[in-house]
Amino acid sequence: MRKVMSANEAVANAVKLARVGVVGIYPITPQTTVIEKLAEMKAEGEIDADIVRVESEHAAMGVTLGAGAAGVRSFTATGSQGLLYMHEMVWWASGSRVPLVMMVGTRAVGAPWNIWNENTDFMSERDSGWIMAFASNPQEAFDLVLQGFRISEDERVFLPMMVGMDGFILTHMKTNVYLPSQEEVDAFLPPRRQPYVIDPEAPIGMGNIFPPVEYMKLRHSIHSAIQSAESVIKEIGKDYEKISPFNNYRTLNVKYRMEDADYALVLMGAWAGDAMEAIDELREKGINIGMLRIRYLRPWAESEIKELENVKGILVMDRATSLGRGGPLYLEVKATVRNQVKGVVTGLGGVLLNKEDFKRIILKFLKEAKEERSDGVEWYYPAEVEKVELRNPKDVE
Amino acid sequence: MMLMRGNAACPGCPIPREIDALLEVTGQKTVLVVPASCTSVIMGDTNGMPSSVPVVHSAFAAAPAIASGIKAALNSKKEDATVVVWAGDGGTGDIGLASLSGAAERNEDIMYLCYDNEAYMNTGVQRSGLTPYGAWTTTTPEGKRERKKPIPQIVAEHGVPYVATASIAYIFDYQAKVKKAKEIQGFRYIHLLSPCPPGWRFDSSLTIRIAKLAVETGIWPLYEIEKGKFRLTSLSKTLIDKSKRKPVLEYLKLQGRFSKMTSEEVKKLQNEVDEFWEEIQKID
Repeated sequence: MRKVMSANEAVANAVKLARVGVVGIYPITPQTTVIEKLAEMKAEGEIDADIVRVESEHAAMGVTLGAGAAGVRSFTATGSQGLLYMHEMVWWASGSRVPLVMMVGTRAVGAPWNIWNENTDFMSERDSGWIMAFASNPQEAFDLVLQGFRISEDERVFLPMMVGMDGFILTHMKTNVYLPSQEEVDAFLPPRRQPYVIDPEAPIGMGNIFPPVEYMKLRHSIHSAIQSAESVIKEIGKDYEKISPFNNYRTLNVKYRMEDADYALVLMGAWAGDAMEAIDELREKGINIGMLRIRYLRPWAESEIKELENVKGILVMDRATSLGRGGPLYLEVKATVRNQVKGVVTGLGGVLLNKEDFKRIILKFLKEAKEERSDGVEWYYPAEVEKVELRNPKDVE
Repeated sequence: MMLMRGNAACPGCPIPREIDALLEVTGQKTVLVVPASCTSVIMGDTNGMPSSVPVVHSAFAAAPAIASGIKAALNSKKEDATVVVWAGDGGTGDIGLASLSGAAERNEDIMYLCYDNEAYMNTGVQRSGLTPYGAWTTTTPEGKRERKKPIPQIVAEHGVPYVATASIAYIFDYQAKVKKAKEIQGFRYIHLLSPCPPGWRFDSSLTIRIAKLAVETGIWPLYEIEKGKFRLTSLSKTLIDKSKRKPVLEYLKLQGRFSKMTSEEVKKLQNEVDEFWEEIQKID
């Protein structure tokens, strides 16, 4: 079935088709319409899931984790302050090796208040031991959430998975989304099976004290599971073609016009659309640039990224930053390839870039690359920002 | 049904007996959810299973939420079990208060036991919101200046079907309350005063004597609030008359944590206890 819907609505539909049993919900912009839609589906009798309306994101993950530990497919959604408030439980979920799926509608982090898009919240969970995917359009949001349950529950992975999507720009963007039928989804996503489950008939302990070596071995096993998830994701992506043949999930990340590219732009998320338009126009002027869109931050598909070593120059754009250092994607790419890498940090707190901005960024990068000085990190402000005066406490009058 | 022996409880610690008494009543079909607390260590530092029932250890502030999720999952699988949060006073009344209140407001079908040793004992005796007035802790070396947070009353104000106080010194009363709670659907809360030898500074042979004195002096009234109806239980039924209650000093003087209290401070505490009983007399 094809229907016009927002990414948030697509996510709710994926949760419905996955026959999720328990959903812990707590509102935060720009994710809220996901949980509203789920509550509405419940009220209309379209889903059986137990919707637990908790008092915080910390509790939302508590409920979702508890249900997962007891063997039931569970889901939650959050972003920004909510994700940061949940942070402790995000780690508790992966450390407990409990499969579940969470949607993250990305948004800037306060202070000061800002409800607009930025990916720093998502990036701040980079080290938490989750499988981390990032969508770029509503169809992919649907696909990744649905695939997420199978990836997360695969015995070779057995870890929670979060699917990020740019706040408003993607969460609220409506396009045509193809939804496979319930029968097709049931065939693709079998009922949950897990090696350990909370069951009074067969008591186990979860999360008790681990002595140092045992603790380190557990951490090591999560590290290995994330790495081995790479082949699992490809396998599941290929299988997904049986029920939805429109997107290619045979690789973790997505290439655009990279076959003959001399230069590569690396980024993730919804602004890939603007970037592709800019690339098309530059290509018409004889500039051979392509794009690698990161769809999975974890696992980090090192062999796919390493292919970038064949180009003359790499430009990484981050809608996030590790303050005082650079964009997280930039740092990841730099740690993977031998080439010079330029990083651009932009789009923070909802700063919008258009196609012309992408062209300006790329042209400046090409000039620097030809002079072999395309290294380091630049903070880019859109063309209409005439003057950048930083806001320092000492300058406050 | 029991907590396994060879656990890491301190000498004189009532927690192992309190858990055993709980599980004797709730039976095999019990799931324990334990946030950071002394019990994380008592049940945690073992090879193999620490108890005869499943135990889920939880981050400090999340136990009622995790218990809610487990109960929802068991319901969806049509499996029956008593899901019990077993938490200390900090995990209940300080860092965990929002989660406790959330679960109580939603009237989650879980049982919540707070074993209240009146400070952060697992980290080495730091004051909590439930440390009583006058008590020494490592973060109130001068004695706590504030009063104890009234958590059972706060939970009762949520309108949950069952709230009770209990004491390890009155084990039949405690187990009768667990038994009653087990049969009730919805959020059930039992608050156990749980004397702590190293934290309260008393000899490990005195645990039960001090637990008894807490009740006999009226500092720790035993009661239950069933569907909003308040009722004194056990020995506390006989203590409405002030002359029947021992002076609070008898409870305080056995504990090093109160040794710096002045006679004025003791008098102030005595007055607070008497005023509390006058309130009880009005509602009982």
